[in-house]
Amino acid sequence: MSGWDLTGTSPAARDEGADGALSVSRAVGIASGALDALPEMTVLGEVTGFRGPNARSGHCYFQVKDDSAAMDCAIWKFAYAKRSFDLRDGMQVNLKGRFNIYKPTGKMSFIAQSFSLAGEGLLRQQVAELAERLRREGLMEPARKRRIPLFCSRVAVVTSLSGAVIDDVKRTLRRRNPLVELICVGSKVQGEGAPAELIEGLRRAAAITPAPDCILLARGGGSFEDLMTFNDEGLARAVAASPVPVVTGIGHEPDTSICDMVSDRRCSTPTAAAESVAPAVTDLADKLAEREARLMKSLTASVKEGRAELDGFGGRLNRSMGGVLERARAAVASAASHAVLTRPAATLERRAAELNQTAERLAGAGSRLRERHGSALAHQSERLIAAGAGCMAARGHGLALLSSRLRATASGITRHPAAELAASAAALDALSPLKVLGRGYSIAYSGDRVATSAEVFAPGSELRVRLADGDVLGTVTAVQPASR
Amino acid sequence: MAENKKIEDMSYKEASQELELIIRNLESGDLELEDSLASYTRGVELLKSLRERLATAEQKVSMLVKDVDGADALAAGEAADTSDDLPF
Repeated sequence: MSGWDLTGTSPAARDEGADGALSVSRAVGIASGALDALPEMTVLGEVTGFRGPNARSGHCYFQVKDDSAAMDCAIWKFAYAKRSFDLRDGMQVNLKGRFNIYKPTGKMSFIAQSFSLAGEGLLRQQVAELAERLRREGLMEPARKRRIPLFCSRVAVVTSLSGAVIDDVKRTLRRRNPLVELICVGSKVQGEGAPAELIEGLRRAAAITPAPDCILLARGGGSFEDLMTFNDEGLARAVAASPVPVVTGIGHEPDTSICDMVSDRRCSTPTAAAESVAPAVTDLADKLAEREARLMKSLTASVKEGRAELDGFGGRLNRSMGGVLERARAAVASAASHAVLTRPAATLERRAAELNQTAERLAGAGSRLRERHGSALAHQSERLIAAGAGCMAARGHGLALLSSRLRATASGITRHPAAELAASAAALDALSPLKVLGRGYSIAYSGDRVATSAEVFAPGSELRVRLADGDVLGTVTAVQPASR
Repeated sequence: MAENKKIEDMSYKEASQELELIIRNLESGDLELEDSLASYTRGVELLKSLRERLATAEQKVSMLVKDVDGADALAAGEAADTSDDLPF
């Protein structure tokens, strides 16, 4: 350690010291130049410590390692943007780039320009791509997964007959549920030709008669490459197309194969798959105990319900009949209490009394009527007779009077006109011209007419003279008017 | 109960399903009392048979093998050995 100046007082920043030492800058510069001189190279390693692009710069910093070495690695933002997949820890990748030294820290890094998957990583990527393709085809749709009976009583196991898996499955189901019948269908499960044998095994298992309730496709744990058989596209399609539902139990917990994705039920291990096909006998026994209890209870309930119903009917019957009887009783009682039934003579008695009363009244009224009207009638009769006699006498007298008057009047009437008539006849007789003629007078007629003047006559004219006892006819010879 | 198949001829599952059906019918309370009693009797028989099967069940394993003609046939296989079963 001699020669080191620990005080920091020796001249600094000199490219070369007196003893030929290089400055750090110079030394790092030389190393950097040497690394720059190296050609571009491709390095295969496993990604570790990857935390994604730096939040601020977008560059990626991580390490790649193999069994005995590791190196820092950086991918600039623009280079990472051109990636076809995201880097993750554990990936085997081929990194293409150059070494570089960051002078301020002197740290060496491999600056990758591009990267691609390698080995298992590459396989995983291919598997992921296949899975994506099958997913897009709809082979993994939950809707197309078939229901597997809760209790499969017949199960075909497609797996290797030489491995521990078949024993695990048998032992698991023997313990869990010996009622499950197992049919073993042997097949290679890894290596060359395994997918084809498994496809054939699935076909044979589905063809068993009677058909099994499900097919258990099982394989124990292994490396990723070992399990690649179950990522085979042909086998995956055979699983999806199997006419009998397929339960997979492949590898261990974290392993997921494409067969798992397209199967009807995926279990993490063969044992878990075996357990999933049937309930445990202890559960079945519990179920039977529960059913026994339900059976007892339901019968008890049936009987109890029947009894309650009968009790109800009985009660209702009693109540309804009681009601009917009660009403009938009340009706009878009310009828019985009626006077017609209690004192049937009462009505007759009352009627008799009424009749008696009426009869008495009738008799009373009759005699009273007789009394009153009898005397009145006698009196009236007397009066009538008296009045009749008086009336007759008066009328008779009147009539006699009238009769005498009538007679008197009648004679008066006839005497007086007779006298008048005699007088009138005497007067009339006195006045008669005939009487005058008798006394010597005559009447001259000219023709038929009484001549009242001499002038109506002329000598030669006819003359008639009426006398009291006849006519005298003559011719006029002269007319001598009277002188005055 | 329409058919009343012989219980010994029924599989565990068939017997179990019939038992469940009987119990549901009984629980529904729609049965005539006589039918209830008949169902109950049948249920008890099924229950007894199922219990016995659980108690005496032995694993049946067969192998699917190709016979001389190359056709698939079932051959009796060995049940799981119980040597490693825990002693309780």
